[in-house]
Amino acid sequence: MLDDQRAESATAGPVRVPDATIRSAQRGDLIALHDLLEAITPYVRRLCWPIALQDAPDATQETLIVVLRKLGTLREPAALFGWVRVIAVREAVRVARQSSRTAPAELIELPAPDDPALTADIRDVLNRLSPEHRAVLTLRDLEGLDERAAGEMLGVPAGTVRSRLFRARESFRRAWRTEGGDR
Amino acid sequence: MTWPIGEIDDLRRLRVLAAAIPGAMYVETDLPARFDDVWQVLGDLERALPGLVPDVRSVRVTEQHGERFRAMIRGRSGLRAPFDGILRPGWCLMQSRFVSFGIAVAPDGDGTRLGYMSGFRFPGMRILGPLLVPANRLLGRVVVRRFITRFDRDGDSGGRPM
Repeated sequence: MLDDQRAESATAGPVRVPDATIRSAQRGDLIALHDLLEAITPYVRRLCWPIALQDAPDATQETLIVVLRKLGTLREPAALFGWVRVIAVREAVRVARQSSRTAPAELIELPAPDDPALTADIRDVLNRLSPEHRAVLTLRDLEGLDERAAGEMLGVPAGTVRSRLFRARESFRRAWRTEGGDR
Repeated sequence: MTWPIGEIDDLRRLRVLAAAIPGAMYVETDLPARFDDVWQVLGDLERALPGLVPDVRSVRVTEQHGERFRAMIRGRSGLRAPFDGILRPGWCLMQSRFVSFGIAVAPDGDGTRLGYMSGFRFPGMRILGPLLVPANRLLGRVVVRRFITRFDRDGDSGGRPM
């Protein structure tokens, strides 16, 4: 599975989708739906992978289905990617939680954005987190949201998210320093 | 920092479109031929679609700009309709004013996985869609049989043995 995945820059932002394309897609135009899929799929994949890991293709597919089915409810085309982001994160967490292959662990370590461990092996770090905390990490580091906004998106109280992240970060730093001291 | 990203193949994309189009028919099957051999046939729309896609008697591509094209399709009933489409290896979508269909193929071991979707573009399909389920099931079986037969025949005529 991992062999099929490639690394891309986290800074690659969403592309602009013409309003006319979104309007046509909302009317069921197949070519416009194709164009919309082309535009949003890289963004959805980028959000789903760190959260759903092995189940990312399923999470991506489920997200895109929800997006296209609910497209008629999107009133403001400019809000497309923010709207897609909410759906992607929720679907990725849902798919990851449902998967029997995912064994969410209690969050005991969550690295800070500049922590060298993230650069060293982000996949390993992600594998040791629960889907919800992978989502927080993804929203914070990939999307630039603070914990409060990420918590709101996930339906988790901001205070709870902040305290968990604080404890997790301290725990991670202690563990990292201990390991570093042994080297 | 770099983040890994998973891929999503064209069959999944076609499943997404089929799931989003009310009343659409979607089927998948395995074809006993390699992807390159399958696409060599399917990529030539004017020769491939008649006999594979229900009610298509002839296809004439009238315009092509990169992946985008326009074609005139004549049905067995004699009716003609212009279709807009997108064509690239492993992926073909076409739609007229009233009908749409799509084909996606992806390598699957020594064979090829095929996805086929079709649907109507009438108002009210969200309500009528469930009524079409039995007909779609029958149509799906017909389409699958046509595709498999086509590539079986290619194998018999000197292509890769099954």
